[in-house]
Amino acid sequence: MNVAEKKARVIEPDSLIGKRIPKMDAPEKASGRTRYIHDINLSGQLYGKILRSARIHALIKSIDVSAARALPGVHVVITAADIPDQRPIGVAKDHFPLKVGRVRSQRDEIAAVAAESEEIAEAALKLIKVEYEDLPVISNPEDAIKPGAALIHPEPHGADGSHLHLKQGMSIAHKGKPDNIAMRFDYVHGDVVQGEAESDVVVEDTFKLHYVTHCCMGVSGMIAEFDASGNVLMYSNTQVPFLHKREFAEYLNIDPARIRIIQPPIGGGFGSKLDIYPFEVICLYLARAAKRPVKMLFTREEEFLASPTRQPVLLTLRSGCKKDGTLTFRQVHTLHDNGAYTSWGATTPFVMMQTFSSLYRVPHCDYHTAAVYTNNPYAGSFRGYGNLQATFAIEQHMDMLAEKIGMDPLEFRLKNAQDAGEVTGQGMSFKSCGFKDCITTAAKRSDYARKARENAANRDKPGNIKRGIGMASMLHVGGGAKIYPSDGCGTILKMDDFANVTLITGASEIGQGSETVLSQLVCEELGLPISAVTVVNNDTAITPWDVGVHASRTTFIAGNSAIGAAKKAKSKILAVAAKKYGTAEDELDLRGGFVIQAASGEVVVELSKLLRNLHFQDKAELVMTTFYYEPPSVHQDKGFKGDVSAAYAWGSQVVEVEVDTDTGIVRMTKVTGAHDVGRVLNRLGIEGQIEGGVVMGQGYALTEDLLIQNGVMKNPNFRDYKLVTAPEIPEMDIAFIESMDGEGPQGAKGVGEAPSICIAAATANAIANATGVRMFELPFTPEKVYRALHGQTPKLYWKPWKAE
Amino acid sequence: MTELKHYFAPTSLDQAVECLKDGDVTILAGGTDLTPQSQAGRVKIKHTLMNIRHIPQLTGITLEGREIHIGALATITEIMEHPLVRQHLPVLVEACDHFASDQIRNAGTIGGNICNASPAGDTLIPLLVLDASVELASMPEAKLYRHTMPLSTFFVGPGKTRKSLCELVTGVRIPLPEQGHVARFFKLGTRPALDISTISIGVAGTLRDGVLSNARVAFGAVAPTPTRAAQTEQALEGQRLDAATIEKVAAIARDEVKPIDDVRATAWYRKEMIHNITKRILSHVAQA
Ligand SMILES: Cc1cc2nc3c(=O)[nH]c(=O)nc-3n(C[C@H](O)[C@H](O)[C@H](O)COP(=O)(O)OP(=O)(O)OC[C@H]3O[C@@H](n4cnc5c(N)ncnc54)[C@H](O)[C@@H]3O)c2cc1C
Repeated sequence: MNVAEKKARVIEPDSLIGKRIPKMDAPEKASGRTRYIHDINLSGQLYGKILRSARIHALIKSIDVSAARALPGVHVVITAADIPDQRPIGVAKDHFPLKVGRVRSQRDEIAAVAAESEEIAEAALKLIKVEYEDLPVISNPEDAIKPGAALIHPEPHGADGSHLHLKQGMSIAHKGKPDNIAMRFDYVHGDVVQGEAESDVVVEDTFKLHYVTHCCMGVSGMIAEFDASGNVLMYSNTQVPFLHKREFAEYLNIDPARIRIIQPPIGGGFGSKLDIYPFEVICLYLARAAKRPVKMLFTREEEFLASPTRQPVLLTLRSGCKKDGTLTFRQVHTLHDNGAYTSWGATTPFVMMQTFSSLYRVPHCDYHTAAVYTNNPYAGSFRGYGNLQATFAIEQHMDMLAEKIGMDPLEFRLKNAQDAGEVTGQGMSFKSCGFKDCITTAAKRSDYARKARENAANRDKPGNIKRGIGMASMLHVGGGAKIYPSDGCGTILKMDDFANVTLITGASEIGQGSETVLSQLVCEELGLPISAVTVVNNDTAITPWDVGVHASRTTFIAGNSAIGAAKKAKSKILAVAAKKYGTAEDELDLRGGFVIQAASGEVVVELSKLLRNLHFQDKAELVMTTFYYEPPSVHQDKGFKGDVSAAYAWGSQVVEVEVDTDTGIVRMTKVTGAHDVGRVLNRLGIEGQIEGGVVMGQGYALTEDLLIQNGVMKNPNFRDYKLVTAPEIPEMDIAFIESMDGEGPQGAKGVGEAPSICIAAATANAIANATGVRMFELPFTPEKVYRALHGQTPKLYWKPWKAE
Repeated sequence: MTELKHYFAPTSLDQAVECLKDGDVTILAGGTDLTPQSQAGRVKIKHTLMNIRHIPQLTGITLEGREIHIGALATITEIMEHPLVRQHLPVLVEACDHFASDQIRNAGTIGGNICNASPAGDTLIPLLVLDASVELASMPEAKLYRHTMPLSTFFVGPGKTRKSLCELVTGVRIPLPEQGHVARFFKLGTRPALDISTISIGVAGTLRDGVLSNARVAFGAVAPTPTRAAQTEQALEGQRLDAATIEKVAAIARDEVKPIDDVRATAWYRKEMIHNITKRILSHVAQA
């Protein structure tokens, strides 16, 4: 035996944090093997299809489904009349899945069919006869709030015209509304009148934000099945399975315990799957009536027509500052086009007001929103949740104010930017804050100051190509958002005899890479390679509760939950090892699949061997732990104040453009971003997240435009709804500011929504830098830009309903 | 749903035109127009669906005397990559390069682009300024009958041509450009790939000693059909391309077109673009 062999093996320290780790689901997706809901078929399954309204706003006089019912191969045809126990759905409970007596938008569901094939179901829809009586269409929110405007959800009247007296506490779907206002939000801190009095300059402008939609590559779909005992199994693409389990139970009037939701791999969410839509409830009705599984899949056109949009907003912003560059006040009024029904879009003010009140230090802030019913499509939640809209306005005003007082726009921003330790007027408390670093880093890496100066100087030189550079910054929740009673997530962790880990988490994977990052965090604690982990995350009967994928919360919340479970497993393992090998727990550690001496790295025992010893003994034990993480955030009070997130994310992006003054075409040439992400966990994942977000922001800024005229969608297809294609994607230079958040998992903060937020605002500033022309209305399509450059765009002004 | 009863894939031109005789036939080439149009219900597939992709007489790109012949089945990719086209008809390569995406270019054919007769069809504008003619085949009696027609008279409206239901397009013929020939194409859209033209412009002619003769100008997406612009051509004919002439011709072009508003652009913007891009192209030609 030689000396070398006697020496104990030493495992060198290593870390997975910050490494470039390929997404665990990437090989399957890249090779086309992933089984999406489209690929799942149950034996005995029927195909569901929905008949949508042929009118925008009308009374339904009669529906005749007899011919459809008689068509061979048709199992079930339902209308509202067949479902007497329908309950209103949606954020404001203002519509029925199958419309009762009245249609209010193009997407409205009138009848549904379950048949042996999609073709038969389609043919059956064509046999359904509906008689309508047209009502006036309100397609403009400004018309909808005018006194005397026709009502979208009128209170019901008896045949003699008298008011029907309905019970208190009834939903809007039953009792109607006396006006077209779906929701109001009013927020204030400080006193804007005083703020304005202290101002040296004041600017006021109206901004108009358009309709765009998520364009998930996987269209919406669901399979519903009732078993012989009446239990429901749903294959659903929801982003919030636990909330929806409860909600579906309510709509079906059954115990939530009888609902099980399995999520197949989801082909894109971006917020679109945060609400329950009529098709899902209708699919359940069909399955219940048919006593067979029913599968419903949207066509691409239907995906455009019947999935939610980003919230369109008309916004008038009044901002002021002193000559020395101190911000004094902001006053904001917005008109949200609610569409015909209320989904999450109406609640975007929750996020918008945070940007106005707290992105920069502003002593006086006054914010008001009215979300008004129209006969347009209804808006849901969409990555950024109102923040793209708010940032578009606020960051243009930052440039405009700086120009008015003759101050450098960077200096102006830095003077007003938040710092760590501040508590804002809205009660948000910034424990970690890399905002100033974001601004200076993005400016430096893009050479912002020099280019901005040169571009402005070159504006009037000959040539049709004008170069521009613009900056915008953002603040967004990065540590969850306490909206529901709990903002938590549970984890169950089990280790097998070979030191493999099964990580059972409530957090859903929707393509954002959560499986990979959660595995990484667990492996970091347990000293194992990523390949040791299997993630189970898609079945409400197995996984512990989680509030859902939203608010950029998964890495932060589910990450802390996974770490909690891993730490418990680790301390159990170390306790066992310490006892067995006669040392102290704190002298041991886990590394490379071994229990080691913490100080020297010397191997004590192979982890899998220790686990087997623990298992196969008289007092057999397994390592299985659970953890539930609830962030230390609080609910907002009635005035929308409170520290709703455990951490806040910051970012600054600089956009460079070339504007062709002959055509109005804006080419985005480069995006430089600096993001305070707390800490980079999976570098590959976070780069992908940022790049994807930038492209989404680019589409919002330049090309995407869902055209609605008189309630009719003009371009429900990828030919005329223009997503950004590969050749247009700009060069990107992304820097990460690691502010090491004290509460974040390994110091990280959420960053899912952040990268799409600033692009439109920065592009507006870049166009102004290139051409001297300010644009207040998105998107910057060639014709819009050309018109603006040629003085063909009348100044937009919307007079707020209560401008004090 | 369709009325499709019968699928036929002829392997010779004779079989194909014979089949066309009763007129109740839908012709399928690359299917890149037909598939989306029939799925959206805008086009009904008739009694017989005839796939022409196995007919050898419809393929190939060849030099025949002083003409280049492009078979109806030539795909956009084939045209773009073909040495004859690259050498003699660079303006057609330019148009193909801005056509859809690789996938569509690999499937879509020139015959399909011509017969679809879209005002925004991208090969049609260069073909018009190159004086192309369409070759048609039919079987009125028991014998194959072929004739040609100038492309400039072929289109009658969106999706409508002078081709009868019994005729098949077998190819296009393009005279070899003479010495001093110049030609340019420009497609304007919101994005560089996968876009339908908001407008497109083709300009061609013979440039000798700074003077342009045999002027050809064609515009896409500003009228119910892709069209030659007679007044603009007249204004250009025999002119020296100095700044004043270019400005004058661009203004005439703007006034000559009668576009409409649609989801892609307003008529006003289209007219502006016709002006600006005509000016840009002519300036390029002047520098050639
Ligand atoms: C995503 C997408 C992008 C596109 N982008 C562009 C673009 O940028 N520019 C552009 O110009 N077009 C574009 N198109 C349209 C289409 O690709 C072209 O018009 C193409 O050239 C059609 O050729 P095809 O062989 O696919 O025709 P098909 O779809 O097979 O046929 C089109 C029509 O012509 C008839 N037909 C075809 N061949 C003959 C023949 N030999 N004789 C008689 N009739 C015939 C058919 O019956 C049918 O009515 C696009 C289409 C798609 C789907």
